[in-house]
Amino acid sequence: MPSPRFPIPQGTLDMLVLQILSLEPAHGYAIAQRLRQVSRDAVQVNQGSLYPALHRLEQKGWLTSEWRESETGREAKFYALTKTGQKQLAVEKADWNRLATAVQLIFGEA
Amino acid sequence: MNRLLNLFRRRRDRLDHDLDRELRYHLDRRVEEMMADGLDEPEARRRANLEIGGMTQVREAVRETWSWAWLDAIALDLRYAIRGLVRNWGFTLGVGTVLALSIGANIALFSVVNAVLLQPLSYPDADRLVSVETLWTNTGRASQDVSGPDFLDWQARNDVFEKIACVQGGDDFAAMVGDHAIFVNPRYVSADFFGVFGETASAGRLLTERDVPSGDAEPTVAVAAHHWATAQFGKAEAAIGKRIAVYGNPLEIVGVAAPGFRYPGAADLWAPWRITESDRGNHNYQAVGRIKRDVDLSRAQAQMRTIGATLSRRHPENRLKTVTLVPLRERLTGNLQVMLWMLMSAVGVVWLIACANIANLLLARAAGRTREIALRSALGAGRGRVARQLLTESTVLAGVGGLAGLLLASLFVRGLVALSPANLPRIDEVRMDATVLLFALGVSLVSTVLFGLVPALHASRLDLFDALKQGGAKATMSSASSRLRSLLVVAEVALSVMLLAAAGLLVRSFQALQRVDLGFTTDRVLVAYTEYAVRDLADIRTRSRVYADLLDRLRAVPGVSAAAGVAYLPMGREPRAARDYFIQGRPEGEAGERPQAELHAITRDYFKTLAIPVRAGRDFESGDTPGRTPVAIINQTLARAAFPGESPLGRHIRTNRRSPWMEIVGVVGDTRWQDPSQPPPPVIFVPSTQDWGNSLSILARTTLDQTSLAGTLRALLHDASPTVPVRFETMEELFDFALAYPRFRTQVIGLFAAVAALLAAIGIFSVLAYLVGQRTRELAVRRALGASAADVIRLIVGQGLRLTAVGLVLGLAGAVALARLLEGLLYQISPWDVATYVGAVALLGVAALLATLLPAIRAATIAPRIALQQE
Repeated sequence: MPSPRFPIPQGTLDMLVLQILSLEPAHGYAIAQRLRQVSRDAVQVNQGSLYPALHRLEQKGWLTSEWRESETGREAKFYALTKTGQKQLAVEKADWNRLATAVQLIFGEA
Repeated sequence: MNRLLNLFRRRRDRLDHDLDRELRYHLDRRVEEMMADGLDEPEARRRANLEIGGMTQVREAVRETWSWAWLDAIALDLRYAIRGLVRNWGFTLGVGTVLALSIGANIALFSVVNAVLLQPLSYPDADRLVSVETLWTNTGRASQDVSGPDFLDWQARNDVFEKIACVQGGDDFAAMVGDHAIFVNPRYVSADFFGVFGETASAGRLLTERDVPSGDAEPTVAVAAHHWATAQFGKAEAAIGKRIAVYGNPLEIVGVAAPGFRYPGAADLWAPWRITESDRGNHNYQAVGRIKRDVDLSRAQAQMRTIGATLSRRHPENRLKTVTLVPLRERLTGNLQVMLWMLMSAVGVVWLIACANIANLLLARAAGRTREIALRSALGAGRGRVARQLLTESTVLAGVGGLAGLLLASLFVRGLVALSPANLPRIDEVRMDATVLLFALGVSLVSTVLFGLVPALHASRLDLFDALKQGGAKATMSSASSRLRSLLVVAEVALSVMLLAAAGLLVRSFQALQRVDLGFTTDRVLVAYTEYAVRDLADIRTRSRVYADLLDRLRAVPGVSAAAGVAYLPMGREPRAARDYFIQGRPEGEAGERPQAELHAITRDYFKTLAIPVRAGRDFESGDTPGRTPVAIINQTLARAAFPGESPLGRHIRTNRRSPWMEIVGVVGDTRWQDPSQPPPPVIFVPSTQDWGNSLSILARTTLDQTSLAGTLRALLHDASPTVPVRFETMEELFDFALAYPRFRTQVIGLFAAVAALLAAIGIFSVLAYLVGQRTRELAVRRALGASAADVIRLIVGQGLRLTAVGLVLGLAGAVALARLLEGLLYQISPWDVATYVGAVALLGVAALLATLLPAIRAATIAPRIALQQE
């Protein structure tokens, strides 16, 4: 099962969380499941940093949260992307692409 | 404050609870999932816990994001606050100015108090420096004047001082630097003098034991004060090796003291000195000591008292005296404490009034914003959040006010220093140091609490439903708010009355001081200080002749109506020590219990020049020469004290048991020499022509311009003797100098009181203007129902005056209660002077009336129809 994986770069977790939530609102456990999938395939995500990240993003106003009934019938805290969150995600994606292109360019020329 | 803390605490509890639920949900789901994969429950729980990094750690990490969020929220509040304040720039400017002025005045006065009273003297380990003084056991009074033999005994017998030194001198002396005649203030000190202060030289060296002259020899070296050396020679180093003849005694300057070292205050030079006299009744030294590091003041005091008691038993002259230690700082500035703390309280009151005023304005503003706040609350801003927002605004205001106050303070300090008496000790040490900055910070913070908390708490208690329901632009806050605002106005008025009454008492007392009958005229009298140095009897004869000629030539100058000489100048200078006197045919009495009088040597026409009436007998004459019967003139106070019910003329008096008796030939009117507030002292006058001879200050009454006469006099004097230095002053300047302290405190407190009254008037105005705004609708209805404009004015003015009246009564009660504290500063005015209180109340009453009239007139001009349509 363990394939060669590298640790997730600093700050990328926020982007991943925003990306996951851009599809639909989700609670922490669902986000973690999704992250585990990503982990299996590509990068290693430290689950312990998920909840601090969620609360930080909420404080910044990029996420909102509300308590809602989950698929199991129990109440769970659902997070959703706000308008500014969407903007932030777009900005981060663009930044990321610029960086990736730049790196490719450098490697291509070398 | 607790309310706010509670709001924050409750929010935190809720967040904690939510987080626990959130994490428990996650763990439970994960455990279920792993159990479905075949793990047993404890193992699944262990793994799940491990996976998210441990519950406690996660909880901590999440909480950390909250505390940063708290900072973020503060930053947001700050942004809102600044934006709001900028938008209402008129309001901000007004409040900021009031705040900056009051905080600035507080900082300025505090920096004076700090430098003069609080900071240790600028010597190393200055707490261990004491003034060693004579304590008179019959009167309980300590005097800095000590006798030489007493000092030597104290020095020899104690083991509590590291070093102890004595100082002699005080008068300016004639001196020659090159061929230039100047006045210099030399002090004659024992070898340890600089050691006591722990001083070092800034050039050359200080005094050592070897410099002290042996026996009756005169000193040959001196150390110069830094300010004097630089003024005289350009820079300190240039003074080394220079020679100065002080009263004919040549001294070589071997060193210059550190800049700023001036003890006692007026000293220019210090020369070494040995105590050779043996008379314990002659108190012409002062003593300072440095207490050993491991000895405390009370132990040192106890040992010195024991020594003093031993000396009292051994020497009859010491029967009524012992020795006491007074911390040097207390000795230098102790008498200023009452005045400075009084001014500090006054400026503190101004600041309190300013804060009350601003709290009022903020309340009014908060009332205007009721709907905004209600809306934000309805949209989910917590009560704490709203209160915090308002408090942030106040903090920003106080911060800006404090900073501006700090800048203003540096201006105010310059003003205060300029107003202050020239000889206020340590006034040159006033600066903005860490203590002052700390004080500024403290005042700003306390201001925030004083004027910010009330509106903040009020807003957080706002009833949402009411506020929104009332709608319209004129939503009101609760009636509790207007009650609070009225209370603030009452407090402002009360405090202002107290300050006005205090200022009134001081002003009236100062006026009384200025009106005091001094017993002589200060009008158009020019004073020229001169000193003619003599070395021997021949010089003394020459000196008498020179002064006699000079006075004759001066009297011949057209425009000079009278001229005379006096050995010591009456006003403003250091007081002349009183001395024992004896009357022929009466018992001598015991040392320390004998009656005392001041002794002044004068020339003829002294009384004429100063317009002092001769009540009986005659003035001195040119015939009162050394060969003739010694004569004296006394003043009425002495005549009453020494010869009650009989004529002093023809009786004999003397001030020294060995000198010849002097016949009393005249009685003259009383004069107040030093301090116009003190009763006239008993005085004996002797003719300078019969006295051992003295240098004289020349007094000339003139119809001429005083400065042109000064030129003439200088020329005459230079003709007579080029080695006599001269310095001019007018009698009016001397009188001003004598009143410098009362004038200073009166001016400063008068200024504060005026500001306080103005602030109180503004407070009344703003509250009433607000109330009128609130009641526009009601007033319109009243008008529509037939109330006249006059009725409306009466209504509003009545409301304003009711507040004022309550404030006036409370303030009056407070003023009367506190007046006793001023008693020591008052002259010829009772602390319960009715006229002053009436005046203070009337002044503030008029100001209040004016402040209520404007809003009242506005209320009366409300057009009913327009006002009602607007609603």
